[in-house]
Amino acid sequence: MLNEKEKLEVLKDILFTDDRDYVEKISERIVQLEQILHDRQKLSDRVDPIVQGQLDEFTKNIPNTLGPVITATLKEEIKHHKDEVVDALYPVMGKMIKKYVAYEIKMLSEKIDDQFSFIKTAKRKFRSIFGNVKEEDLLLSELSMAKIEQVFLIERESGILKAAYSEKDTIDEEMISGMLTAIKSFVEDAFHQRDQSLELIEYELYQIHIQSFVTHNIAVVISGNYLTRSKNKVQDLIFNFYNKYMAMNLDLVMDMGPGRDGEPVTREDIEKELAKYFGNAKI
Amino acid sequence: MQKSKKVLLLGHFGVGKTSLIRRFVSDSFTDNYKVTIGVHITKKVVDLPSGTKLSMILWDLEGTDELHLIRNAYLMGTHGVIFVFDVSRPATFQHIDRDLDIISKKIPKAPLLVVGNKLDLVDKGDIKGLLEENAIQSDYLTSAKTGNAVEETFMDLAKRLDL
Repeated sequence: MLNEKEKLEVLKDILFTDDRDYVEKISERIVQLEQILHDRQKLSDRVDPIVQGQLDEFTKNIPNTLGPVITATLKEEIKHHKDEVVDALYPVMGKMIKKYVAYEIKMLSEKIDDQFSFIKTAKRKFRSIFGNVKEEDLLLSELSMAKIEQVFLIERESGILKAAYSEKDTIDEEMISGMLTAIKSFVEDAFHQRDQSLELIEYELYQIHIQSFVTHNIAVVISGNYLTRSKNKVQDLIFNFYNKYMAMNLDLVMDMGPGRDGEPVTREDIEKELAKYFGNAKI
Repeated sequence: MQKSKKVLLLGHFGVGKTSLIRRFVSDSFTDNYKVTIGVHITKKVVDLPSGTKLSMILWDLEGTDELHLIRNAYLMGTHGVIFVFDVSRPATFQHIDRDLDIISKKIPKAPLLVVGNKLDLVDKGDIKGLLEENAIQSDYLTSAKTGNAVEETFMDLAKRLDL
């Protein structure tokens, strides 16, 4: 005779036969999934093809989906910030071309130096004998290093000084900046050289190297022996600084400046950068 | 706040552009006339009521009777202009309309002040009549020699440049 509990079990058995099979299947499936999850390799084998498939699909669709948006955005940016874009590209392209040309000239110069160095020595000896100057002094003066004395960042059209770096106190930097612009404008206008620009002014022991960009000029005052290799180094410094300066302005335009919150780039900010790039630079 | 602005002084030969600048910048005057060749640049920093410190970079261009021949390179980036004529020499203001037209075409956006200088050389009543006869509207009548209205002229322009 069955007791109450056993009767209930028999009844459950009869009523839930189909469900029991189903529960057993689910349990087996859960065990399988748990095994897969615990085995990373198995999981990876199953998930990677799906992810890869999605990525391939995404990559394939980029030209159709994001391409037009990116192109339109870039076109719009270039249209509205043409000067900034040209200014940003100018140093990079200028640097590339300049480096190539400088390298070729350097090679040529070294070859010539190797062949004609004896002439230089002889010339120094003659100057020493006939000029009543010690050969050591002449040698020293030949070796006197070029040194950056001042740097001006000047607005190209107005001649307004944006920032300056100087190791010594000189006459008013804003007036120098204006006069340099006036001289440069005069020379370029007088000789009708629209596509060429005044690049070097020599004054006694000083040279003023002027680099023109679309919206600005940078003038570097140099003392000492300003040779081609020093000129190359100065140009590198100018391009590197201008790259940074343009980046500072683009940060402002695009409102992306880290921690700036759209604050304008101050003269102090620019002068710090000038000092960083040109202060104590070996040329 | 600190700003820098390029100010151009234009006018015929010997109207006193350099003297006006000298009076404004260093409060001095000399009768010894030296012609300006090319351009001479000076600067004065002024404090404006707005709190702005305005650095006026003054471009003193050589005088010319043919304003259209002035090098465009000198005019580029100009923020303000002072056109100077000599109240004692009618030749310097006879064609003022044409001169001002050239200036506003070459530098269209910059504020422009018209100044009659050398007021110390004429009778005030006479000059007012003469200017009215010639329909000349000058913003200021100045004398670089006595300093009359010089400061006011430059400060007026400075305030306009601060806007």
